[in-house]
Amino acid sequence: MRARAVSLATLASLSVLAVGWQVGAQANASMQALSAPQAAPATIPAPSAGPATPTPTASAPAVSGPATVSAGSTAPAVAPAPAAPAPVAPAPAAPAPAARPTGTFTGSTVQTRFGPVQVSVTIANGTITEVTALQLTNDGGRSVAISAQAAPILRSEVLSAQSAKVSNVSGATYTSKGYTTSLQAALDTAGF
Amino acid sequence: MSLDTRARQHNAPPRIHPNYPRRMRLADSLQILAVVSVALVVAVFLADGGAARISTPADAITALGIVTGLVGTDLLLVMMLLAARLPAIDRAFGHDSAMALHQSLGKPALYLILAHAVLLTIGYALVQPAGFFDEVWIMFSSLPDMPLAFLGVGLLIAVVITSLVIVRHKFRYEVWHLVHLLSYVAVLVAIPHQLSVGTLFREGSLQRYYWLALYAGVAGSIILFRFIVPIVRSLRARLTVVGVDQEARGVVSIRLSGRQLRSLKAKSGQFFIWRFWTPGLWWQAHPFSLSAAPTHNSLRITVRGLGDASSALPRVPVGTRVSFEGPYGLFTDFARTSPRIVLIAAGIGVAPIRSLLETATFAPGQATVLLRSSTVDDTYLVDELAALCRARGAELRIIAGKRAPGTSSWLPGDAVQARITLATLVPKLREADVYICGPRKWTDEVVRDARSAGLPTRQIHFERFDW
Repeated sequence: MRARAVSLATLASLSVLAVGWQVGAQANASMQALSAPQAAPATIPAPSAGPATPTPTASAPAVSGPATVSAGSTAPAVAPAPAAPAPVAPAPAAPAPAARPTGTFTGSTVQTRFGPVQVSVTIANGTITEVTALQLTNDGGRSVAISAQAAPILRSEVLSAQSAKVSNVSGATYTSKGYTTSLQAALDTAGF
Repeated sequence: MSLDTRARQHNAPPRIHPNYPRRMRLADSLQILAVVSVALVVAVFLADGGAARISTPADAITALGIVTGLVGTDLLLVMMLLAARLPAIDRAFGHDSAMALHQSLGKPALYLILAHAVLLTIGYALVQPAGFFDEVWIMFSSLPDMPLAFLGVGLLIAVVITSLVIVRHKFRYEVWHLVHLLSYVAVLVAIPHQLSVGTLFREGSLQRYYWLALYAGVAGSIILFRFIVPIVRSLRARLTVVGVDQEARGVVSIRLSGRQLRSLKAKSGQFFIWRFWTPGLWWQAHPFSLSAAPTHNSLRITVRGLGDASSALPRVPVGTRVSFEGPYGLFTDFARTSPRIVLIAAGIGVAPIRSLLETATFAPGQATVLLRSSTVDDTYLVDELAALCRARGAELRIIAGKRAPGTSSWLPGDAVQARITLATLVPKLREADVYICGPRKWTDEVVRDARSAGLPTRQIHFERFDW
């Protein structure tokens, strides 16, 4: 390589690296800003640590509102209402409150190789309305970053699928597995 | 060195080949691109917040593991481009230098990939926590696409080690070539884990497209310039053997005839990789230089029956179809920087020297041809060289004689004793481009002599076709 090529290559490489560093620093700052409000709700439910403690928030208005919606959506064509949920629920009358649980349920803590994962799920009258990560893989900066990235994806997948059976987020296999396992435990306690 | 160039520009007679600075600019640009491509993958890692996230020693080890993987893979892609016969690379460096660079990148790339595997295993093991070999098993069994990635590392080790061993022990070219093809497999099977295990190239991210575009560009170059271009050119040229002339014992000139050969833009001194379609020869391809200036419908090579393939070549029948890759190489007038020219040949290396002498630009009295041999009779194409030298006003010197045992000079023993060197043989050597073609060790010795005579690198041209 000629001296001119060496100096130009060095200059170009250093500037490329500097730009990369700058972008990375900015992205990290914004990521920390994003993850801060996420961390806040995670600490709030923690004191009510009892598993499957239904929080009596907004249970009364929730019953009337989403109930009609869900009834309409599950059986739009079938006229007799008691007949339609029969295949879903084994008994028509008794499991009705269990089939439409309401409240916030905390899942078990799942140990993964990158740290513990625990989620809580908020169910309003049989509909999963919110999933909050109480603990996410946090051993090592890389895991935190992976989790911070995977958690919103998993949350939206769970909300649209309305179950814990969602596909793993690529690149966050462990977080995904811990997340869905803990979520399933929470759903089981809720009788969802 | 560039300062020196400028100083000479004012004093020396005007340069006859203005394409030297253009070629150097191209070479500079390609080298800068290669270096920046390495910086770019590291920058991509930094831009993704890779460095800012480091908070523990395990993070640092993991981050370093990711960076070594990125840089190592980038070097592998650069290596593959160097071997892809890109016209720009051939024009800037020549096939020979490109392959030398390819070779010298092999070990660093392997070490980086190995460091990648080891560092990430350690980084993950510290977090787990687990023992190193437990962690290897955990990664192998539970992370997506890792078995393939492990296979890739294994293949890469096999390729580099066999390359070193085989080159050292001069195995058959075909064996080496087959093993080398495994490196393409190694690079391919490593792709899935890059996309699935790491988060850097996650779906929908800009860097994922960049990374995939790199792979696509390299793959496209290989397919285009190593397969499509040679096949299309061979089909269009329709080369056949029209004559085989005995030059000496075991040495023949093969005359080939074809059509539209101008479109190949072949130059005197270049080589092609030839394949003769006869039952015993079709599966081997070998590089031979043009021994006569190419015309619009004819090419000529001169070969000595040395290796397994070329020993059968003297009997190649007239009418044999010939396919080829090429033309390649910078052993041409295109690489000239000076008004004078010195052509130095030994053995069958006379072939490209003979074609260069035919078309190189020089005024009468400005060219010298040095032909080195053990005995006066041990030379090829001498009559043609003598006729060309007479016609063009070049001086021909045949330097015959055995080398003194235990010495390392390209000249005979008595010449060394008489303190004869390249500088004493050739008047105004400093104003000449020196072209050297012969056996590898001998070539090195001539190059050393030329350097010690004060000739800058840009005025010394040599090409080796041993792989």
